[in-house]
Amino acid sequence: MQSANTPRFWTGTAVSSAIVLLIATLFYLIWRQKGTLVEHPLDVAHLLRMSALQAGLTTFLSLLVGAALAWALNRIHFPGRALLVGLLSAALVTPGIVVAIGLISIWGRAGWLNSALSVLGLQTGSIFGLQGILYAHVILNATFAAAVLLAHLDALPANRLKLGQNLRFSAWRRFQTLDWPVLRSTLPGLGAIIFLLAFTSFPIVLTLGGGPANQTFEIAIYTAIRIDFDLRTAVFLALVQLSICTFLIIPASVFALSPPGSGITKTIIWRDPQMARIIQKAIIIVSTIGLGAPLVSVLLDGLSVGPLLSTPQFWQALGTSLIIGLGSALTTIFLSTVISMASISTRKKFFRTLIVIPSYIYLAVPGVTLSLGFFLGARTLGILPERAAPIVLVIANALLALPFALAILVPIFNASTQRYGRLCTSLCLSNWARFRWVEWPMMGREIGLVFAMGFCFSLGDLSIIALFGTETFSTLPWLMYRALGAYRTHDAAALAAILLLVSTLSFQILPRVIERMSRAGT
Amino acid sequence: MLRRFILAFIFALSATGLPALAQEKPELTIYTYDAFAAEWGPAGSLKTGFEAFCDCVLTFVSADSSIGALRRAQIEGKNTKADIILGLDTASIGMARATGLFVPHAVDTSALAVPTNWSSGDFVPFDYGYLAFVYNKEKLAHPPGSFEDLIAGDLKIILQDPRSSTPGLSLVLWIKTLYGDKAGDIWSDLASNIVTVTPDWSTAYALFLKNEADLVLSYTTSPAYHAIAEGDHRFAAAEFASGHYMQIEVAGILKSSPHQNLANTFLTYLISPQAQQFIPHANWTYPVAILESGTPEGFGKLIQPDPVLILPEEIVTKNNRAWIEEMLSAIR
Repeated sequence: MQSANTPRFWTGTAVSSAIVLLIATLFYLIWRQKGTLVEHPLDVAHLLRMSALQAGLTTFLSLLVGAALAWALNRIHFPGRALLVGLLSAALVTPGIVVAIGLISIWGRAGWLNSALSVLGLQTGSIFGLQGILYAHVILNATFAAAVLLAHLDALPANRLKLGQNLRFSAWRRFQTLDWPVLRSTLPGLGAIIFLLAFTSFPIVLTLGGGPANQTFEIAIYTAIRIDFDLRTAVFLALVQLSICTFLIIPASVFALSPPGSGITKTIIWRDPQMARIIQKAIIIVSTIGLGAPLVSVLLDGLSVGPLLSTPQFWQALGTSLIIGLGSALTTIFLSTVISMASISTRKKFFRTLIVIPSYIYLAVPGVTLSLGFFLGARTLGILPERAAPIVLVIANALLALPFALAILVPIFNASTQRYGRLCTSLCLSNWARFRWVEWPMMGREIGLVFAMGFCFSLGDLSIIALFGTETFSTLPWLMYRALGAYRTHDAAALAAILLLVSTLSFQILPRVIERMSRAGT
Repeated sequence: MLRRFILAFIFALSATGLPALAQEKPELTIYTYDAFAAEWGPAGSLKTGFEAFCDCVLTFVSADSSIGALRRAQIEGKNTKADIILGLDTASIGMARATGLFVPHAVDTSALAVPTNWSSGDFVPFDYGYLAFVYNKEKLAHPPGSFEDLIAGDLKIILQDPRSSTPGLSLVLWIKTLYGDKAGDIWSDLASNIVTVTPDWSTAYALFLKNEADLVLSYTTSPAYHAIAEGDHRFAAAEFASGHYMQIEVAGILKSSPHQNLANTFLTYLISPQAQQFIPHANWTYPVAILESGTPEGFGKLIQPDPVLILPEEIVTKNNRAWIEEMLSAIR
């Protein structure tokens, strides 16, 4: 441990401990309610096999597609590139049901593709089944992976690129020598997150799975809470899920910290050979159509906004969503910055893992358990649910975005430490000065990405709001879900489109704005 | 600094909650499911109608579902603000009774126009509907007339998971009522018809409107929504000769309520023709009172299930878990 960074180490440790404490408290609050452990007809072995297979494939495919897309987008510049990245990033934070419906608009039996193919007398296979689950998960996760990896690739230092260019690296050599070390440092963290997301995925697995063969822990927990009101069984099942996930993510969460770029970008025109460029263009076209079309269909479906915009409910929900999004985004930045700083302040892998793990654990706790725990917590403190709702939404969604934020920030903080750590120590910079003058200016873009992520996660939340939402306290996704539950499909489609649009613009605009802010003072 | 900002922000947020108004009049609080309390649901009209004479304030608090409303009151225990839970149905009433939270009502239900002799004890029925498979007439010329037709015609259907959705559970009861011990076989035969089993009604219906299946599990009244609210007459419910399962929605008074009389007054109002007129075109279910205006607009064209199927509450409560398992293992 570097002595100058001891305060950082302890602040991060304190924040991580607070997260563990919060999760433990949520579990305790549920556990102390009445309830007996009943025999549950849950085949844990079968469930594990199914979930692990699905999550493993999702992770592999998402990383593969994400890395390929990031590589291609890093090389090929075209107008609308930033907009495309924004749209793709927005997929992750869009409610699962919206993505599922978008996917069906394209690939369903009456979707665009089959309508077009039917002219030729052809038909695609069914989208329902493991293939549908994987496809939807790849849309969600590969796009996120691509956005993160691209941010790192775009930040490769100019001098290294110049050197490579002078040495006349081939396309493969260039990837191997310059890109791969950057990608490698981010992939394990990304992989762990994607695995967890896929493992705990609930609405997509059920909706696109094609039947209840795809049992999930989440629905067993849901049954225990809603039907049986057997809260102890719910806690027990949630703990089983948590243990399995923790066991699976510990190895992955130890980041292989090779140095990514300095974050100081300078446009260098270095085109790969013609052959590589053809491959890159093909990757972009195929990915844009494959991953983007379902999202575009959501936007097109929502064109008939009309009367919705004139209702006060819409504007209230929009206002609430934006305020809570902002709160979540700031909380996410605070938490992820503190934890990233702490995790790289120690050289011991054990401590590094220990500090980062709690941020991942949260992702492994079933959403229905979390929201119930928060609800009971508010009650214990004597706060009305509608009063507690904004705070709970801010905290819960910030914690949800945290692992994603860490995947973005830890590598860049590490790079900064490797480059400037000794210099900062020898200059006796205070931790604040170091952040203000050394780290902040070089990671504005990443922090902007974290900001957008925290903002949009909260914007798309449909699990916490399910217990706290009422007719007077509503967010955009909740309004959408309510409309869907009352035959108002057009309103729901319009809301889904608005959600996607706001998320897309956030991902496009926020990182740039914050990057500019970070450089303004230097 | 950032931390201080966040704290200040959170406090600012919590301060913007609902202002606690000092209320002189007694407040009657009803927990219900969202579609009932929503601005397009009947809650608003009922509030106006009841407050006109009750000298009280009527407040609806929505949860994501009626079971959600029940569980919320249960978690809150004796301190719950709720006086009435509204929207429980024939499939979930047993769960409600098992909580021991309810008291018998003092409402005269003898004049109710519910087409079954189903009795609900402590609970007051306030509307009802029938489960049905809904289809698009332009896409399906010959709708099935039975589960056997459905299976033989290889028609594609979308269902809801009985563990998370009320119509999903009611379908399990429907098939059980008709086929008894053979219910498992029917489910096995149906397996190849099922496109997918969604966690909730909303998703299933949205997929159906995207034309992902020939039929969707919904209600006989669904076509009335499209016809009246959207002027879209393409949808219809397939009439099964062997009968349709009925869902009756009920309301119950909580023991912990300090407003027992007021609660009974509300329930009496709720089943009166004055209040029932708001039900058909806001909740898209049948009213339990005979309306002055006669059959609600658009409801005359709907199929009239015969016979009406419904199982006694005790039998449902005792067996539903086993029947759900039977269904799941048959189609897995």
